[in-house]
Formats: sequence, C-alpha cells, structure tokens
Amino acid sequence: MAKENQAALTIQEEFANKIKAENRREKLIKWAPVLVLAALIIVFTAARGTAFFSASNLVAILNQWAIPLLVALGLTFVIMLGSIDLSIDGTVGMAGSIASVLVANTLNSNNLGIFGIIIAILCSVFVGFLIGLIHVKLKIPSFMVSFAFQNICIGIAYISYSGTPATITDPLLKALPKTSFLGIPFITWVALIMLVVCIYIQEFTPFGRHIYAVGTDETIPRSVGINVDVVKIKVFTLAGLLFGIAGVIGLLRLGQGQAGIGKDLMFPAQAAVVIGGTSLAGGKGGVINTIVGTLIMTVLINGLTMMGVNPNIKTGIQGVIILVAVILTVKRGATVISK
Amino acid sequence: MKMKKFTAMLMTAAMAVGTFSATAMASEDLSSFTIDPAQIPQEKLDTTLSVAVSVRGLENPYINTIKLGMDMFCEYLDSIGQKYEAQVLDSGGSNDEEINNMKQFSAKANGNAIAYADPNESAICTALVEAMAESGGYIGTAWNREDEDTVEDYNPNWVIHTSPDDFVNGKATATALFESMGGSGQVFVVEGLLGNTCANNRRAGFDAALEEYPDIEVVAEDTGNWNTTEALTLVETWLSQYPEVGGIWCANDNMATGAMQALDGAGLLGKVGVTGIDANTDIVEAIAAGNATATVSSNGYLQGGYTLAICYAAWAGLIDPEELPLEYREFATPATLVTAENVEEYKAEFVDASPEFDFSQIFWCKAD
Repeated sequence: MAKENQAALTIQEEFANKIKAENRREKLIKWAPVLVLAALIIVFTAARGTAFFSASNLVAILNQWAIPLLVALGLTFVIMLGSIDLSIDGTVGMAGSIASVLVANTLNSNNLGIFGIIIAILCSVFVGFLIGLIHVKLKIPSFMVSFAFQNICIGIAYISYSGTPATITDPLLKALPKTSFLGIPFITWVALIMLVVCIYIQEFTPFGRHIYAVGTDETIPRSVGINVDVVKIKVFTLAGLLFGIAGVIGLLRLGQGQAGIGKDLMFPAQAAVVIGGTSLAGGKGGVINTIVGTLIMTVLINGLTMMGVNPNIKTGIQGVIILVAVILTVKRGATVISK
Repeated sequence: MKMKKFTAMLMTAAMAVGTFSATAMASEDLSSFTIDPAQIPQEKLDTTLSVAVSVRGLENPYINTIKLGMDMFCEYLDSIGQKYEAQVLDSGGSNDEEINNMKQFSAKANGNAIAYADPNESAICTALVEAMAESGGYIGTAWNREDEDTVEDYNPNWVIHTSPDDFVNGKATATALFESMGGSGQVFVVEGLLGNTCANNRRAGFDAALEEYPDIEVVAEDTGNWNTTEALTLVETWLSQYPEVGGIWCANDNMATGAMQALDGAGLLGKVGVTGIDANTDIVEAIAAGNATATVSSNGYLQGGYTLAICYAAWAGLIDPEELPLEYREFATPATLVTAENVEEYKAEFVDASPEFDFSQIFWCKAD
C-alpha cells in the first residue's frame, strides 16, 4: 500500500515537474526572438562598431523598417486566423502605382493630393475585402485567392502608369520622407501609429479576441454565435488597408510609382511574422511578436549590407540566419502539428 | 527577286576576286537593304503573322521601350498591309516562364511567327531559339547568350543576335563618373543581377575604367538586382558609413533612381555623382537638373523594332539568313552616352518626342 502511494506521488510530481519545465521552455521561447535580435545587434556592433550604431544608420534602419512592419502587421492577423495572404507584392505595388498617377506627377496632369493617396489605399482595402469574400463565400483556400490577386494587382499597377513610371512632383509629398519628428522619420511614424492601432484592435476590441478564437478552433466561436465569415473578411480587409498604406509609404520613399515597390516583400514578411513567434497554424502570437520579427529581418539585412558581405554569398548567409532564428524561436513539441 | 540578284552578284564577285572581297561587297549592299512591299507575296500579307517581344518585367521603363519599339514596327506592318497579331511575353524575371511563353507562342503560330527575345539569363538563350526553330518561326535575340552560342547553330530560324556593348557602356559611365569627381574619391557600386551576362559585362567595364583611375576607391559594392527599392536600401545603409562618398555607379537606371532617392534623404542630392544605364526619363531629367552624371541610351525602341523588322524580312522571304554574312547576324546596336553636354539634344529627340524610324531599312540598326 505504502509502495503504491509512493508511486502515485512520483507520477504526480513528475507531471508537475513536466508542466514546470514546459512553462520554463515556453517563457524562454517567448523571449527567444528578443535574444536573437540582441545577438544580431551585438554581432554587427562588434563588426562595424560606431558605424552600425551611428544616428544616421539608426535612421536608415527606421526607414527600412517602416514598410516591412506595415506589411507584416497586416499579415499577422491573417496568419493568426490560420490563413495566408500572398497578395502583398501586388497590392503594395498597386497602391503605390495608383497613388503616383493621382497626385501631382510627371506623367499626367492629375493633382488630387491627399485624396489621391486615399483613393489608392481604398483600392487596396477593396482588394483585401474581395480576397476575404471570395475565400469565405466560395470556400477557396486563402493562398490561392490571394496569389491570384497578387497577379491581378501587378497587372493593374502596370496599366496605371502604362510602362513609364510616374515621378511625384507634389512638393508636400516629396518633402514627407525627409521629414522627421523627435528624430524618427515621418514614414516610420506612420508605421508606428498603425502599430498602435493594431495593438488596440488585438487587445481591446471583441474583433481582436474573435481573431484568436477563429484561429484556435473556428467551431467554438461559431457555436457561441460569432459570425466567423465576417471576422475573416474583416481581417483580410484590414490587411488590405495596411498593405495599401505600405504601398503609399513605398511610393514616398522611392519618389516614383512602380509595380516594383512591392517586389519581394511577401516572403520576408512571412518569415518575420513566424520568427516573431506567431504560429502558422493560427490562434497564437500577435502584433507585439511581429515588431521583434520585422526588426530582426531589417537589422539582419542592414547589418549584412554594412559588413560588406560578398554579394554572391550574402543571400545564402541571410537564409542560414533566418533558419537559425526559426529553429530558436518557433514552438515545437509533440503536441504541435507541423504541416 | 532582289535576293536572286544579290546572290548572283555575290557569286560573280566570289569567282572574280575571292571570298573576302565578296563579303565586303555584299555587306555594302546589305547596309542599304530596303524592304520593298511589292516583293512580298500577297499570300504572306494575308497570313496572320504572330509578333512578340519576350522580356522580363514591364515595370522597368527601358523594357517598356522595347515594347513600344514593337508597337512602332506594327504601325509599319499596318502601312504595308500585313496582317498580324502582336503580344508581349512577360517572364517577370523567371527563366521557366520565359521558355514556356516562347514555346506556347511559337507552337500556336505554326511557323508564322517572329519574335524579339531578351533571354532572362544566357543559359536559356538557346532554349528560346529552339522553341521558335521547332515551329519554323524566326527569332532575334538581344543581350544575353552563352559565349559559344552562334546564330549559325539554328539556321535559318535564329536570324540575329545583337547587343549594345555592355563593357563599353559600363566603362563609359564609370569614366564619366570618375571625371566628374576630379579623378579621386570614394565610390559605391550597385551591381545588376548576379550571373547575368550584361550585369557582368557592365561591371567588367567599370573595373577597366577603375584601373585607369588609381585614386578612385570602391568602398562598398553589392547587387541591387536591377531593383529600385533594393538600391535605395543599399545606398541608404552605405551612406551612414561613408558620408564622404563622391560617386555612385549603378548598373542600370532603375537602381540609379533608388540611389538618388537615398542621396535626397541624406541631403546629398546633386552633391554626389550618380550614373546608370538605359536612359530612363527620370534619369535624363536628373542629368538635365544636375542631379545625375551620366547614363547610356541603349535605345530599346530600336532594339525591339529593328530586330522584328529583320525577322520579318526573313519570314517574308526577302532575305535568307543562311546567306547573310555573320557580321550582319551578330552585331552591336548603337548606344549613346548621355551627359550634361548632350542631354538637351537627347531630350528633344527621345523624351519630348517619340523617335521615328524607317523600318524598311532593316540594317539601319547596325552600329558600325
């Protein structure tokens, strides 16, 4: 009898220990992205010293961070649903191109100023809405719908300027990327404001909680009367808004509207969201994680450029570091299904 | 008819003074060769000819001028009463897509096809040519091909291969940049797509110029993948490390646009020299405004339009590619260095107005 008790205790203890260990691991994994970021900063500072930490490079990093952050914010909500949005390269390029031909520019006599910007962003919002609607109502996987829209939007971008990219001439818009407040560039402020909006949506609105619920197991919110379809459509529309703003920021940065503004943004954004700790399976992670994820990607590219790594091997090194970051940060275990 | 006369002349001359002078004489004749619509059989004119340019990414303004060259050539086809269908085969920078596009295009045309192709990479040049040759259509390639490839491997379907001389252009813009810096100082190098033939040749041209200017120091170099945003990011990062830079050499104008934007952000626009290649409108304007140093016009209109014109002459039976001397099948197309000195003239001809070409003089596009 005594022996049996002892065995039972051991099992209980073992279980408690296992839970504790799991919690510790979880905490560590939560902080792993920050540690990866810190490690990158330490390595680059050691290699390039004051140049990496100079005021002008910090401003460069903030400038380079704005677009990936905006794009990844939109993607974060989509990934939290357990869906994916591949339209990024297209919607960003489209919004930037459309805005460029609506404001004062070298290609035509339009001069809609801020309204041109708003129209361009609304186009991207509408595309996001359509992706959500088609995905939900026609029950087509989100990656297929959004991939199709990537191409559609690139096509619209080409048509908008018919081959000769428009350079913006509006003096206010030209001045904006060079403007800064409290040492932070204007375009980064826009991204930071959207970041605050996204944090608010995620933490303080029923919509934010619904996103987690749908991502975890959509039968549960459905059973308590939440319209899951509407939640999904709203998420894709919100992503469209953020991609549209990213497109306009890209236009301001380049001073020229072209489909290329969105080129190759998508996969780094996916990587940033995942490295930040948001699960591709949905229901876990969030906006805060994405801040760190995008900073890791931005600092990585900036640092490698600054170190003057041979271009022939730079992309490869970038890939290895991303892989290491994913290995260190993504939650794994018997209970996590990889697909 | 004209071809027969030409062949007869060639043979007579060959018998009389030997092959060398015969080729010279033939070349002289060829340089002024003109399409005579009256010699094109009505049957050909009534056949719907498929016309295409195979390119990577219309987002690049230079690439777009190739498409515009095709449009101009199509206007010429209209003027002589040739039925046709024109299309752009855009690979978006993918080798596979470019090959597939060409296969589909040539297969459906059943031999009644002509195309201008700018192979995405040298390695796929012959795959594109093969696709066209199998269907019996005619193709002219530009820029990229492997060194050992020759148009004679695919007679008569691979009509021509042309290219502006990238080495010369890279060297010319580098020299203009170094001169503007007084022959000394730090420079950034923004290269094109790694492994791409023209990117390599332009870079080799830059290196050759660098050897002649020992006081010029390359402090940072990387690839911008022909992309404006990537070039902007590179230069922005480098500027915080090397604020004293005197010049930025870019392998194309798209990237020069990004470099200038980075300079603008740092308050250095107009103080640091920038060069590109392609003569995009915004760079030409920047040269006029004193914000850029030089660019080279490869004249995409001419490349697209005349390549199709020569292929058309082959398809219509007016020339036989197999009988053309090699120098009329593999040649350099003209390029113009645009600097502050000639920018106003260049703008008047190419920016403020559309250039005009007489596509009946098919070999007018030959540089020498």
